[in-house]
Amino acid sequence: MPNRKASRNAYYFFVQEKIPELRRRGLPVARVADAIPYCSADWAKPVSTPLRRPGMLVSKQSFSPPDISSLSLDSDQALLGGIFYFLNIFSHGELPPHCEQRFLPCEIGCVKYSLQEGILADFHSFINPGEIPRGFRFHCQAASDSSHKIPISNFESGHDQATVLQNLYRFIHPNPGSWPPVYCKSDDRPRVNWCLKHMAKASEIRHDLELLTVEDLVVGIYQEKFLKEPSKTWVRSLLDVAMWDYSSNTRCKWHEENDILFCALAVCKKIAYCISNSLATLFGIQLTEAHVPLQDYKASNSVTPKMVVLDAGRYQKLRVENAGFPHFSSSSQGQGSNTATGDYPSGVKISGQNNSVRGRGITRLLESISSCSSNIHKFSTCETSLTPYMSQKDGYKSFSSLS
Amino acid sequence: MSGRARVRARGIACRPSTPEIGRTQASPSPASVDVSDKDTPSSSGYMGTSRISQKNKDGVSSGDVGCTFLGRGGRIRREFMDLGACTREKLAHVRDCKTGSSGIPVKLVTNLFNLDLPQDWQLYQYYVTYIPDLESRRLRIALLYSHSELFNKAKVFDGAILFLLEKLEEKVTELSSETQRGETVKIVITLTRELPSSSPVCFQVFSIIFKKILKKLSMYQIGRNYYNPSEPVEIPQYKLTLWPGYSVSVSQFESSLLFSADVCYKVLRSETVLEFMTDLYHKTGLSSFTQACEKELLGLIVLTRYNNKTYRIDDIDWSVRPTHTFQKRDGAEISYVDYYKQQYDITLSDLNQPVLVSLLKSKRNDNTEARIAHLIPELCFLTGLTSQAISDFQLMKALAEVTHLSPLGRQQRLARLADDIQRNKDARFELETWGLHFGCQMSLTGRIVPLEKILMQDQVCQPMSAADWSKDVRTCKILSAPSLNKWLIICNNRAEHVNESFLNCLRRVGSSMGFNVDYPKMIKVQEDPAAFLRAIQQHVDADVQLVMCILSSNQKSYYDSIKKYMSSDCPVPSQCVLTRTLNKQGMMMSVATKIAMQMTCKLGGELWAVEIPLKSLMVVGIDVCKDALNKEMAVVGFVASINTRITRWYSRCILQRTTTNVADCLKVLMIGALNKWYQYNHGLPARIIVYRDGVGDGQLKTLIEYEVPQLLSSVAESSSNTSSKLSVIVVRKKCVPRFFMEMNRTLQNPPLGTVVDSEATRPDWYDFYLISQVAHQGTVNPTYYNVIYDNNGLKPDHMQRLTFKLCHLYYNWSGLIRIPAPCQYAHKLTFLVAQSIHKEPSLELANSLFYL
Repeated sequence: MPNRKASRNAYYFFVQEKIPELRRRGLPVARVADAIPYCSADWAKPVSTPLRRPGMLVSKQSFSPPDISSLSLDSDQALLGGIFYFLNIFSHGELPPHCEQRFLPCEIGCVKYSLQEGILADFHSFINPGEIPRGFRFHCQAASDSSHKIPISNFESGHDQATVLQNLYRFIHPNPGSWPPVYCKSDDRPRVNWCLKHMAKASEIRHDLELLTVEDLVVGIYQEKFLKEPSKTWVRSLLDVAMWDYSSNTRCKWHEENDILFCALAVCKKIAYCISNSLATLFGIQLTEAHVPLQDYKASNSVTPKMVVLDAGRYQKLRVENAGFPHFSSSSQGQGSNTATGDYPSGVKISGQNNSVRGRGITRLLESISSCSSNIHKFSTCETSLTPYMSQKDGYKSFSSLS
Repeated sequence: MSGRARVRARGIACRPSTPEIGRTQASPSPASVDVSDKDTPSSSGYMGTSRISQKNKDGVSSGDVGCTFLGRGGRIRREFMDLGACTREKLAHVRDCKTGSSGIPVKLVTNLFNLDLPQDWQLYQYYVTYIPDLESRRLRIALLYSHSELFNKAKVFDGAILFLLEKLEEKVTELSSETQRGETVKIVITLTRELPSSSPVCFQVFSIIFKKILKKLSMYQIGRNYYNPSEPVEIPQYKLTLWPGYSVSVSQFESSLLFSADVCYKVLRSETVLEFMTDLYHKTGLSSFTQACEKELLGLIVLTRYNNKTYRIDDIDWSVRPTHTFQKRDGAEISYVDYYKQQYDITLSDLNQPVLVSLLKSKRNDNTEARIAHLIPELCFLTGLTSQAISDFQLMKALAEVTHLSPLGRQQRLARLADDIQRNKDARFELETWGLHFGCQMSLTGRIVPLEKILMQDQVCQPMSAADWSKDVRTCKILSAPSLNKWLIICNNRAEHVNESFLNCLRRVGSSMGFNVDYPKMIKVQEDPAAFLRAIQQHVDADVQLVMCILSSNQKSYYDSIKKYMSSDCPVPSQCVLTRTLNKQGMMMSVATKIAMQMTCKLGGELWAVEIPLKSLMVVGIDVCKDALNKEMAVVGFVASINTRITRWYSRCILQRTTTNVADCLKVLMIGALNKWYQYNHGLPARIIVYRDGVGDGQLKTLIEYEVPQLLSSVAESSSNTSSKLSVIVVRKKCVPRFFMEMNRTLQNPPLGTVVDSEATRPDWYDFYLISQVAHQGTVNPTYYNVIYDNNGLKPDHMQRLTFKLCHLYYNWSGLIRIPAPCQYAHKLTFLVAQSIHKEPSLELANSLFYL
């Protein structure tokens, strides 16, 4: 059991503050735990709160962000709009140092990301690893089996290395000019670098890309924003998080279908999620679908009503709504319909195009709840901030008119 | 509760007869269960590199410093490296006597044999150089052996170092001989050392002597053990062949030189790789044959009967046929067919088979290109067991019937070996040449220490059997249990009917043991890890005390993802249960009891205690193992008691990047534990006793020089005036000696609590053997304890009894276990981290046994 005192976070005090008011409303609240169901809706109101529910998501790291308002906005804007690429290449194991070929690249994933917009586009492809050096088949197979499980031979989806590299370069650097920064985790850097060089050799394309480490990027952003250096342990634990391992729309199709955790694309996307979840929120950015996989946090589980005393009122209400209006949940999702435009090479997905919706998932949920439960007036303050979103999704309007 | 983890945990407690079949050479990999013998493939057996740049300028020395004689494969055999660590002389209180006295004496027979030497026996070590220098070891040996000076003498020569029983007349002898090509080579033999029989180098020479002897008894060396292929045991229904064999060693024990032997088996499959391939071909058809073949065969260890060597299949070369030619070392081209005909007189029947490719291990540690061996499938026999076979209960049972020898059966086999050695003319001659006399089997006196009482909340219970007291304590209340008020059960849609009855059961057993279980929240989800994780993320908040996941399959990914999330991202104790376990009819009560106990521990409760007279004692268990995914990472588990009763534990785990199993981070862990102790007891413990498990052969010195100082300095730093006393004990689950008790004219396993601290121990160490487990089948394996540091000054008697008491405190098994509880906790923790989590669990969980 975790230390309870330690988990007294803002939410706890928020609820504590609300207790007198709830009592006035005649609700039977003896202690904080009792009051939670009545408060979660209110808690979700202030728009600048980060996504994570207290005590639940990752970063419990205790550092106190300096007062955001005191910092200059200009540098923020540059930082927020800045575009980074996260890249990873998987190999069928690592061969011993005396071999000329140290890695056998087999999968590549890359995402285009900015703090402001989240994941803008992604690129994924399987790579044909080429001939496996004689005698190392077992070694490679064992390495593959223990991680990404991509078959070492007879795997149809593997593209040849020259094409993949060309596509990657077109993805990262479609126009002439300076190359954008490309990042990967420091542990993976030697491998990714080797693979890039190797593929470049095979395809005779010049290797202009400079690979930097994500750890340094995080340190950099943090330093720029708060003018002090975060600890290495903090950065590492920030990036090493299990909660999105099984999130939808994170792994590539093949790994998702085969339910394998290790996917090059997923590694890149998870870096983006982690940075969004911990850094972007410090800038006061609203997390969107493009930042973290919000859709997973909409009610998708069925709960046995008779046994459950749900602590979060919004889920319960939503469940009721779900049962009444089955179309609701499906209408809110525009996932997966990938409209590939001619300009982009295969493997590239532009998420901005189909995910035009922006705004916090929780707020959207609340909106739907409020519109059908009678206390709609409570949300009038939020209404303004939600208008662009409302106009795009007329599904909700019709929905609210039903109630 | 995962099936895997459970099986292992139980395996330790209730099936403790050791895996006696073919010991794994390296540190045992977790996957190779008891019987599989995955010896690292032994490559062509030429012994030692001849380039040893040892030049002893000081002339003749008689010490043991820097023994450079190399064992098989150019390595110094690791267990001999441990012998250099003389810890006992530094421990004043045991320098004269390290034996205890309490308990009932018991007469025990051992698997040790006396090996008598003349009083003045000495070995002379020479260094041999050739001018001009010769590369070929074979040539070096042939030239040296052809000289009459050495002809009839007892000698061992590895190409550079020569051991003789008789001293040569001169300190430096120069010989000259002529090679076949007519070159004259000068041989210089220089005396470097005179070795007494107690020197570790001599034990290596003895090993070589016994290697020769066992060869004369027509036994073959595979890996480290010797097998007798002429008397195979067949298990035809599973296509298995077992070769009986022995693992032998010669070493200096407490008072004399002893030869030890143990029975082992090599598991072979009675089919060749070619037969296996043909079978597979009929099953799969042509289209996917090569793929299926690679999937099934790669990584398996094969044995070639013509030279009795083992190889790992690293690749299959489909383009090469036996009719193809290859280049021999002398440059001649020869086809595989002809080669086998000429060399071994074997005719290959199938000329269209592909060849298997095996990477040979480079003997030198440089980065030269690995050599490759081509093997003919027809001549390769599969060894070991597939994971499929291991999970086949009937097969393993049939195997166990052969391999788990009863004490009597084992004794008979040992007697036969002794008999063979003494009767065989060649063997006897070899022994006589070296002046050795093979003596009789040794027996000694052990002591049975009194059994312990189990302390429950309001009663003291003397269990009927110390091996399992679950029945005795069924009606007793446990020491303390937090009340479980807010918890979740997450299950899939189909499991509902089970849950109701299980929950009632859990509440009932909970209330009888004093553990109050409220109704949980039930959450039903889809059957996939993502849904489980999502449900956890949604429903777990700060007040949730425990999450129970009811899983429908034993898939590792489910368990891993839940444990990973619940122990680091969102630190809440979690309990995984398989639907299958809950479906067992008639078992519900015992399953529920077991789960209730685990849940109590995970919430920080205490189940039982034993009487420990030492007040203010902290016991610590340390275990180190390799991470399953990343072999470069070592997982260090550290579990320390934080109350005087030794019922509450502080558990931490650290991952470190290293290639050896030596811990770097003990200071952090120890200081953390001491702080925790201070918090609870408002003072520091007067005594600390550390049990260190997971030590490999040859690491003893590193431990003494590297780990003990870390512990000492953290103890010293934590207090300014009187620092706590510290003892460090190395725990070994595998050891050479076995003990049998004579009773009613037959042999039996010795009873629980048997301590041996004489004869079979080592003179330089403060060590003892303790039997704290019951073998229902086969022969019991004693646990070996070696006290490498001790300033507590406890009497040996007290140290032994304390160790025995600690074997009672493992809360996952209501009975004795074979190692002290803190070690088993540390093992459990490292196992969870190494197999499932792969990162450090959150410190918020450190106060509970969340990994049970």
